[in-house]
Amino acid sequence: MREVDLTAVRPYADHLGDGLVQMSFTLPVPYSLAARKAALELAGRMGFEEPEVVHYEQLTDGYTYFVMYGRCVQSVDFEALQGEGFDIEYMSEDEIERFAEEHLHRKVVVVGASTGSDTHSVGIDAMLNLKGYHGHHGLEGYRSFETHNLGSQVPNSVLLAKAIEVGADAILVSQTVTQQNLHVHNLTELVEMVEAEGRRGDMILACGGPRVSNELAKELGYDAGFSKGTEPQHLATFIVRELAARVASSG
Amino acid sequence: MLSELTAPYRRLALVGLAKNTGKTVALATLLRELESEGRRVGVTSVGRDGEEHDVIDARIEKPSIQLSGGSLVATTDGLLRASGIPHELLEQTDVRTPLGRVLIARLRGPGAIEVAGPSAAEQVRTVSDAMLAHGAEQVLIDGAIDRRAASSPDVADGLVISTGAVLDTEIAEVVQMTSNAVELVRLPRAKEGAEALALNPRFPLTAEGEQIAELLDANPDARRLLVAGALPDRFLRALAHLTHCRRREIVLVVADPTKVFLGKRGPFWFAHQGVRLEAVHPIELAAITVNPVAPRSHTFDSRELRELLGQAIADVPIFDVLHPDYPGMRQPAARSASASDPA
Repeated sequence: MREVDLTAVRPYADHLGDGLVQMSFTLPVPYSLAARKAALELAGRMGFEEPEVVHYEQLTDGYTYFVMYGRCVQSVDFEALQGEGFDIEYMSEDEIERFAEEHLHRKVVVVGASTGSDTHSVGIDAMLNLKGYHGHHGLEGYRSFETHNLGSQVPNSVLLAKAIEVGADAILVSQTVTQQNLHVHNLTELVEMVEAEGRRGDMILACGGPRVSNELAKELGYDAGFSKGTEPQHLATFIVRELAARVASSG
Repeated sequence: MLSELTAPYRRLALVGLAKNTGKTVALATLLRELESEGRRVGVTSVGRDGEEHDVIDARIEKPSIQLSGGSLVATTDGLLRASGIPHELLEQTDVRTPLGRVLIARLRGPGAIEVAGPSAAEQVRTVSDAMLAHGAEQVLIDGAIDRRAASSPDVADGLVISTGAVLDTEIAEVVQMTSNAVELVRLPRAKEGAEALALNPRFPLTAEGEQIAELLDANPDARRLLVAGALPDRFLRALAHLTHCRRREIVLVVADPTKVFLGKRGPFWFAHQGVRLEAVHPIELAAITVNPVAPRSHTFDSRELRELLGQAIADVPIFDVLHPDYPGMRQPAARSASASDPA
């Protein structure tokens, strides 16, 4: 088997390093041969070599939908990126329950909400509610967790008051971060309120949303950020490990 | 110059009123000035600094952080390694961040580095003191986005605020918002020994108008209320509505300005409604920097912005560190010139 060159990683389709990318997009032009040509030219300008339209169809009058292949000639140095942040090996639900029993000897209390004006509760429901996500229980279904899901449009002060009231180990907030400052402000305000209440040392703060990365989480002041594709056991793994580490370092 | 004005503060916090207000440019300017004065600095960031691109809008390029040899820095193991700067490891802290564990190191040579230290205020204080103990003459604590906790007197001795066009498309709004933020930072010091009614913990977080009204009725002579923790805008507005209707005056005493969370209205407006704010520990504001440019949006005239801010805010020097007016500005293109400047 060919060895992967981790200093120059590029997309993979048929064989290593071929750089093949599949993409889809819509152009606001009528379904025609000219439309196909426009898509090819656009893909070329995106930097793709040998662009190819494998499927295109009319979406509605004046709009054409494309599926394309293209060869990406760029690569990234994965080696240089490793060692940034947690390289977590996630535990399964059973492993988490056992880990919590062994290291924490009590229930882990988690309070979650979508804060501010955000009306999306899908993310927080997927993480906390029994139904869960992708065939995995939410934290509500774990013996070792006690969860409080406050729903959506919760003011930061109310979320924090609840967290203090129930003695939360972790607060989980969900926000759809956009380029507008509003959502970002909502996220930083919670961190600052936790600080103002003198509770920053007692609580793990995690945020989640479609655009949340670890880099963003760090700038916002959170202990971790969770993005698309996160399953409840990923979040649970982080919380129990971080709690155990805090217990250990506080002697 | 910034370095002169901030010299008295051993632990100096830099706080922006929003993203892209030029906080990192102010930090870079300060670092350059301190280097030319031969001062040994320590640097940490509650967020992440010196990254190439904005974390939310990747189209925005960010200034790099250049440190001189001998500087101390608190950043993560990965970022320290990635900088390629030779260094001496001084301390491995217990602080875990989403980007890795925080180390304290002394650089053996100059170079550009991404700085990501602890986020939590208490840990910021710990690493700042550690860098001072290891020989830093001054520690610069860079903020992130609009976070203020590290400017608390529990952490820092002095503050530089960065503001800019990014706050609003109307220059008058930018001036108003900045002046509100400055009023908050410079709340009057609470009178010592004055009688005050201590509010229950969490009451300011959850109380609705009705409960606040009950409290006022139950304590008709209370003039001063003591807030132990956070004071959110919701509570302030509900209280102001009551004091305004009842023509009553209430003083709210907070531990320091970072405990107060304001919305649109500033301390001056609340005072008009009958609610005055006081802080047990005020913050020392050393200077304000302005960025007249809102990336990928609009630009104000730098002089006009500084003049309007100066009319609204008394007794604080206001700088645009990239403008030829700035005293520390030797040449307009100082940011890109480094080849002619042997370290």
